[in-house]
Amino acid sequence: MRLRRFIYNFGCACVLSVAFAGAVAASPADELRAANQLYDAGKFSDAIAAYEKVEPKTANLFFNLGNACFREGQIGKAVLNYERARRLSPRDPDILANLKFAQQKLGVDEVNAPPKAWQRFLRSIIDSRTPSEWSAFELAGIWLTVLAIGLAIWLRRARTALLVVSAAAFAWLAASAAALSYHVIDERTAPKAITLAKETEARFAPLPDSTVHFKLGEGTAVSIKEDRGEWLFIERADGQQGWVRRDAVERIGVE
Amino acid sequence: MWLVVLACFCAVVARADVSVTASVDRNRVAFGESLTFTITVEGTQNGAQPSIPAVDGLNFNGPSTQTSVSIVNGAMSQSLSLVYQVTPARPGEFTIPAIPVGVGDRTYQTKPIKLTVTQGQVQEDLRQSLFAKVQLNSQQVYLGETVPLNVVLFARANVPLKNVGGFTSDADGLGYKFLQNLKSGANTINGETFNIYMIEGAISPTRAGKLAFGPCAVKAQLAVQSRRRSNGSLFDDSIFEQMFGRVEVREVPVTIDPIPIEVLPLPEDGRPADFTGAVGQWNLEVTAKPTQLAVGDPITLTVKISGNGNIDTVATPQLQGLDGFKTYDPTSKTTKDELSTTGERVFQQVLVPKSTEAKQLPQVRLSYFDPVAKAYKTAVQAPIQLVVKAGSGGTAVLATGAPARPTERLGQDIVYLKGDLGPVTTATCSYSTIAFWVLNVLPVFSLLGLVAWKQRVDRLRGDVAYARRSRAAKHARRMLAEAKSFDQVQHALQSYLGDRLNIPASGITVSIVDEQLEPRGLDGDLAAALKRCFEVCDNARFAGDGNNETEMRATANKVGELIDALEKIHL
Repeated sequence: MRLRRFIYNFGCACVLSVAFAGAVAASPADELRAANQLYDAGKFSDAIAAYEKVEPKTANLFFNLGNACFREGQIGKAVLNYERARRLSPRDPDILANLKFAQQKLGVDEVNAPPKAWQRFLRSIIDSRTPSEWSAFELAGIWLTVLAIGLAIWLRRARTALLVVSAAAFAWLAASAAALSYHVIDERTAPKAITLAKETEARFAPLPDSTVHFKLGEGTAVSIKEDRGEWLFIERADGQQGWVRRDAVERIGVE
Repeated sequence: MWLVVLACFCAVVARADVSVTASVDRNRVAFGESLTFTITVEGTQNGAQPSIPAVDGLNFNGPSTQTSVSIVNGAMSQSLSLVYQVTPARPGEFTIPAIPVGVGDRTYQTKPIKLTVTQGQVQEDLRQSLFAKVQLNSQQVYLGETVPLNVVLFARANVPLKNVGGFTSDADGLGYKFLQNLKSGANTINGETFNIYMIEGAISPTRAGKLAFGPCAVKAQLAVQSRRRSNGSLFDDSIFEQMFGRVEVREVPVTIDPIPIEVLPLPEDGRPADFTGAVGQWNLEVTAKPTQLAVGDPITLTVKISGNGNIDTVATPQLQGLDGFKTYDPTSKTTKDELSTTGERVFQQVLVPKSTEAKQLPQVRLSYFDPVAKAYKTAVQAPIQLVVKAGSGGTAVLATGAPARPTERLGQDIVYLKGDLGPVTTATCSYSTIAFWVLNVLPVFSLLGLVAWKQRVDRLRGDVAYARRSRAAKHARRMLAEAKSFDQVQHALQSYLGDRLNIPASGITVSIVDEQLEPRGLDGDLAAALKRCFEVCDNARFAGDGNNETEMRATANKVGELIDALEKIHL
């Protein structure tokens, strides 16, 4: 009898607590709306804090966070969040427009782009899709290639056409796989980061008193080639390399 | 009646334009070859057949008659051609004399034509088959003037020009340019027909003085018909020669001697003050729209200059007396032919009257030097009257009637917030999952399996022994399962052994064990068991024990076990 009462009481408590929690905890959409209201009220620092609490992080959330940072005057951080948003939604025109505008505002739009035209062209193609999209393209390519080859084996009359299809599908597969590999390898071997300080000194050695090689403006995109704890060995888009302090940059990748 | 009148009218008209000419297709010919002599009567088809005077050493055959009538733009032209084949009887120099041709009541004379008949093959000097001349109207031109200068190639009718491999000319200071496309036609010179090819060009001298055009070098590519030597054979006929003669392309350089050209400077006398260097014969048209407007509204003034000459020498006309207007930079559009001998330039300028005092647009003047008249001329367009009313008081802006729009600020600020979270995605996902790699590997293995299957199917279709061996056990087991007599059991065993060994099943008996299976390595126990199965079946079939189903089933099972054992060994 006691056991039955205990089970009943425990069940009621669980149901009530879940219901209460549901009533109290705001949904991510509500949190976003609240943060947007803070932004609209001009409370940009509060909006930044509110945006940073919202989970999960989506492209739109990073976009709004970037806007709040921009309004707050943290334009380097705005560039960082726009870049994060672009990674999740690479063809969103709003994100691209604000990223470009913020970079132009800091005067780093040219610095952040690869120096050669063909590099910029390739980069624009690779960055136009997320790794997931490239993965899907790669899978579609391999299945289509195999399907076309398989049909070519069986359907002798349509063999020539099917072999052409399979060649095209293989080219598609190769291009997708190359783009995907670039994404994966680039992020693993040289993760991208953005400088947040107004001016960052890149030095010849990871020592505070070593000679300054060059200086990086706020919002400059760099690749981290080596991580030595307090110091990071970075490379700018134009190939210039140097050591910077860890706290001077923040990685774009948040995983 | 009308037809008679019309015929008489045509006859009268035709007689007025009658001309008679004679020509040969070539005037150098090898002894043994023939040439074509043609008398052409232009303007009528009623010419009497002339009497060809005897020429010592030349035989005339013919004529064959050809007539043609053409009506172009309502004008009728007709002609009559009398074609003779002329065969020389010996080598030497000959002259076909003037031949009287009677047309109506008049007699026309052709011009004499000289012929050379050589002994043996004509060593045709292609340089004589091709020559070039420069066509230039005047050897005195003015600085800035554009004058047509054509280079004309003459090629004999039997040496057709195939292409022009190159054309170079020395025309320092003359600004010479020419068109790549050849113009072609035909012409008769001294009774001989030439194809003409014209390289159209023009000079536009850039400095005064005594200059020269040339020397020029033309690399002409000729298609030369190589003729065979006459040997009096059956096939020695011009038709056969045309059919079987070879055509060779030979590149023949043709040189044109320099032609002196005097480039005169533009005269100082009578030069207008507003002359800016325009040379040619130009027409000036000026229009303005609208002519009734309000203060602040724009007027588009269009000045069109067109004519003969190099339009590039014509500068933008300077308008004086535009104080009452706000002016904008003029735009111009130029069209001209490839040689810049004719052209048109249209200037457009937007003017905005500042007040109602702007009552007219000033006159437009164009002073130019006319090289034909050898004098300066000035084309003048009278002032254009305007009716300008008071405007709304707004500032004069360059507009085309479109309403004023609020100033846009593009690229001056960031795009506003997003209202929702949007799709939840992660930057890294599918490529790091097991499913992604499985889906990548699966099609590859599927393809490998498909290839293997296809190979097996092809082998089953093409290799009978393999096909029988592959199906032997399965087929035999099915027969055993369905067997209802010893006969069928033995048949199943025969079928299995026949398929395994790829031999006809019907002739298999117990002797196959000794003859084929044991030599292939079948061990003794299996051989003995096989023999027993054959014997049991034979006994049952021939000794009348075939109705014992239990024994038959036991034998079938035994055969099945034997098949299982035989499947495990290689025969």
